[in-house]
Amino acid sequence: MTKKKKTLEEAAAAEALTQPIAIETATTEDLKTRLEEIKGYEGVIGYILRNATSAAIDLKDPTKLIEYAILSASALDAAEELSELFSLGEFENIIVEGKDTKILSLTIGENRISIFLEKNADIEKPLKKLRTF
Amino acid sequence: MMEEDVYAIALQNALNEMRNTCPDMQHAFIFKETGEIVAGDAETPQKVIVRVLDAFNGIFNRAKAIGGIEAVTLKCGGGTVTLHSFGEHHLVMVTSANADLNYINTLTRVLIPTVLKLLEKISPTPLKNISAPSPSQTPKPITIPTPTPPVEEKETLEEPVEEELKTETPSFEPPATQLIVENIGGLLVPSDTVRVDNETLAQWENMFEGKKIEYVEIETFDGKTTKCKVKPIKDSKYLGKGIVQIPEKMQLTLEIKKGELVRVKPIIE
Repeated sequence: MTKKKKTLEEAAAAEALTQPIAIETATTEDLKTRLEEIKGYEGVIGYILRNATSAAIDLKDPTKLIEYAILSASALDAAEELSELFSLGEFENIIVEGKDTKILSLTIGENRISIFLEKNADIEKPLKKLRTF
Repeated sequence: MMEEDVYAIALQNALNEMRNTCPDMQHAFIFKETGEIVAGDAETPQKVIVRVLDAFNGIFNRAKAIGGIEAVTLKCGGGTVTLHSFGEHHLVMVTSANADLNYINTLTRVLIPTVLKLLEKISPTPLKNISAPSPSQTPKPITIPTPTPPVEEKETLEEPVEEELKTETPSFEPPATQLIVENIGGLLVPSDTVRVDNETLAQWENMFEGKKIEYVEIETFDGKTTKCKVKPIKDSKYLGKGIVQIPEKMQLTLEIKKGELVRVKPIIE
């Protein structure tokens, strides 16, 4: 009886330990699903989703993968620095508009997301989709 | 130096006007690709600007992938940081959360490129690049306008009476310098006299072999001209700023106002 109780307690403790990871995984999985949907929007070129343990990348032109990844990481770093510098509170998103392409970068939990769009693409639609998260 | 001053003052005025129009604009400054800060507000400490430039530098260095940077917008709960690129000039603005970003962005995208284009179009010929004529040049007779100082408004805009003068004056067109209009403060300001930087006057005098410059022609970009007396600027805060102090009455006549650019040309008697 005692042994059975101990086993149940251990199982509960183990479940409690694994729960946050399960939620995080679920969040990341859900984000991936949403990003896949966003990728189908008009003018969306691709996305990068990164966290401490994994990365998901989907780009129409894979030759630009490294350049885009470095640029979006720089944008997110600059965003953190600038929001702190001017005491602007919680960071929402950063949009980098180039002559050909624009990038929308934001963080959701531990996930760093960058969506790459054509210059004239609507940025509000993917933002709306991610805001509901 | 003078050219840079004209750019800086014109851009500074444009920024000031924008901040007057949009009180939600908390910080604004313009820098060049080289990292040189061209214009800015007094409230933003230099070290903050340097950190901002450093933060944007990472994006600029990698922006080739998207064809170069046109704009960056950072949205946070308490406000927004935007960067607009206009050729080699970049404008950074920090606005509060309540700011009407559409309005500010429209204003920025119209005003700053217009000022920059105007400055490029009327880019002054830096005085240092104008070489004085060599003494060996044979002086030729030239036609110069009679330097009649304006007395009445209507008279100032009349075509100058021209007469042929055989003179020893060097045979080249006096250089026109773009200067920014500034008011003359104080009582009993002569309405027919403008004030120009001593350095500018000295450079003109050097060009004309030491002849004293007593009159100048002022031309607006609408083509209105007037001739008037010239004296050195007294107020030290305007020295070296590319300023011409013009009496209010003359500004009205020429339909110009403080902050606008005019061409100023020395007249040799």
